Amino acid sequence: MIEVENLTKHYGTHLAVDHVSFSAQRGEIVGLLGPNGAGKTTTMRMLTGFMPPSDGTARVAGFDVLSDSLAVRQSVGYLPEHVPVYPDMTVHGYISFWARLRGVKNVRQQVDAALEQVQLTDRRKMLVRHLSKGLTQRLGLAQALVHDPPVIILDEPTIGIDPQQVIEVRDTIRQLGENHTVLFSTHILSEAEQVCDRVVIIQQGRMVAQGAPATLRQQLQSGAHLYIEVRGANEAKIREILNPLRDIQSIEPQGNGFSLRVKPGKDLRAAVAERVMAAGVALLELRPVAMTLEDIFLDIIKRN
Amino acid sequence: MRGVLTVFRREVGQYFASPVAYLIAFALLLITGLLFNTDLTYSMRVKPAEAALIPGFLSFALVFFAPLLTMRLLAEEKREGTLELLLTAPVPDSAIVFGKFLGAWFYYSLLLALTFIYQFILLAIAQPDIGHAISAYLGIWLYGGAALAVGMLFSGLTENQIVAAFLGMTALMFLWLGDLAGQIVANLDLAYVLRQLSLQGHFSTSFAVGLLRAEDAAYFVGIIAVMLFITIRIVESHRWR
Repeated sequence: MIEVENLTKHYGTHLAVDHVSFSAQRGEIVGLLGPNGAGKTTTMRMLTGFMPPSDGTARVAGFDVLSDSLAVRQSVGYLPEHVPVYPDMTVHGYISFWARLRGVKNVRQQVDAALEQVQLTDRRKMLVRHLSKGLTQRLGLAQALVHDPPVIILDEPTIGIDPQQVIEVRDTIRQLGENHTVLFSTHILSEAEQVCDRVVIIQQGRMVAQGAPATLRQQLQSGAHLYIEVRGANEAKIREILNPLRDIQSIEPQGNGFSLRVKPGKDLRAAVAERVMAAGVALLELRPVAMTLEDIFLDIIKRN
Repeated sequence: MRGVLTVFRREVGQYFASPVAYLIAFALLLITGLLFNTDLTYSMRVKPAEAALIPGFLSFALVFFAPLLTMRLLAEEKREGTLELLLTAPVPDSAIVFGKFLGAWFYYSLLLALTFIYQFILLAIAQPDIGHAISAYLGIWLYGGAALAVGMLFSGLTENQIVAAFLGMTALMFLWLGDLAGQIVANLDLAYVLRQLSLQGHFSTSFAVGLLRAEDAAYFVGIIAVMLFITIRIVESHRWR
């Protein structure tokens, strides 16, 4: 559905997107992940036919974004970061406008279906200016899916709305993923982890990693972590006790206890417990810590 | 065509949903009503009713009120971010510009039609020169289209509606002043050229006196075409920024 190869965008001398390649299959939800200014929006704008790439190719629904721009635009539903609205139109009028502009055949039916999907049916007569931020966000979603496009591109769809609405929007994205290919950007990692089948991490315009969240975690985990909490020993003492265990790479205080970084593939729980107790220190807690995508992400950013 | 029609429909709807357009209509009818009343009073004894009264007034008033009608067209789309969405809709950029321009021109035509009321009053109480009036109205209709096209171009240049209106008024003022400049410049050839370039030069001595000339119509249509072409390029340039 989406095939991106060496996509590049220059703004003057500034390189906003630098040879990014990824793809998304039909019915896949792909998260574009990266800090602010990483090039997420620029990448999306090229995929929606808004701006042409400087170099590289991108195909959406089989159409090239440069040579078949109109066909690409017909196949894409797009929600920019700041939901663009016409404040003086009614909810129904606004959605109908976009439906007509995109050549929808049964406008009334499609508009009703889209409003139903984002639960705005009871507000169809309201003026857009009177909608709250969360409802506006849903309006934007309705606009993006009213022409039933095979590909839906959402730029930071959960930014600036309250937690309840964030959950609703995520649910909607998951539902959309059943029938559409969804590409959405976020800088919230837990969100990508929850919603996406696959994430593409970009930083300073370059792609630094991609894969399923679980796979990424496995691949990139540069070491397992153990959390240990004891009574009757300070940091120096703990270091002294655990020092002989060569597989421990670092010991850092964390909360009431310590975080131990262990070489990948080693299970040191038994050894750690044994040494701690042998030293006559009370062991209160000892557990492995799974690295979240968040940690991995920070790790990658640091390494780059 | 679908794009032109859809954008056109939205723009016309938008005029009726916004207070500015009603205010402009109100002001226009109030001023033209007063003018008509004054002219009618003189026409009782002194002179025949002026057939090009309203079009003549508009030829000056358009300098100010055409930009007020068009300042919103593109500036607002840019500020609200809807231009980005419009440019990702499966319609050519020209369709967006044409649709908007036609919407504004249509609304202006409606305003113009409102002033027909004075012609009907004249018809009821006297024998006005209808041919002369039709010529003047046709002229000011084309004149209005050209003024709106100029106004829309400046709306495309900025996100700020006030700036758009101000720039539009300034540009139209120059186009209008060309007529006066043509009268005071000593060099006759230069004066002729200046006058031919001005909006008034193709209205006040032709359409307004009941004279229909192809060259004047071509001038207004030409202005519209050039302005729309530049506006389309301006809209398109957003893809390259």
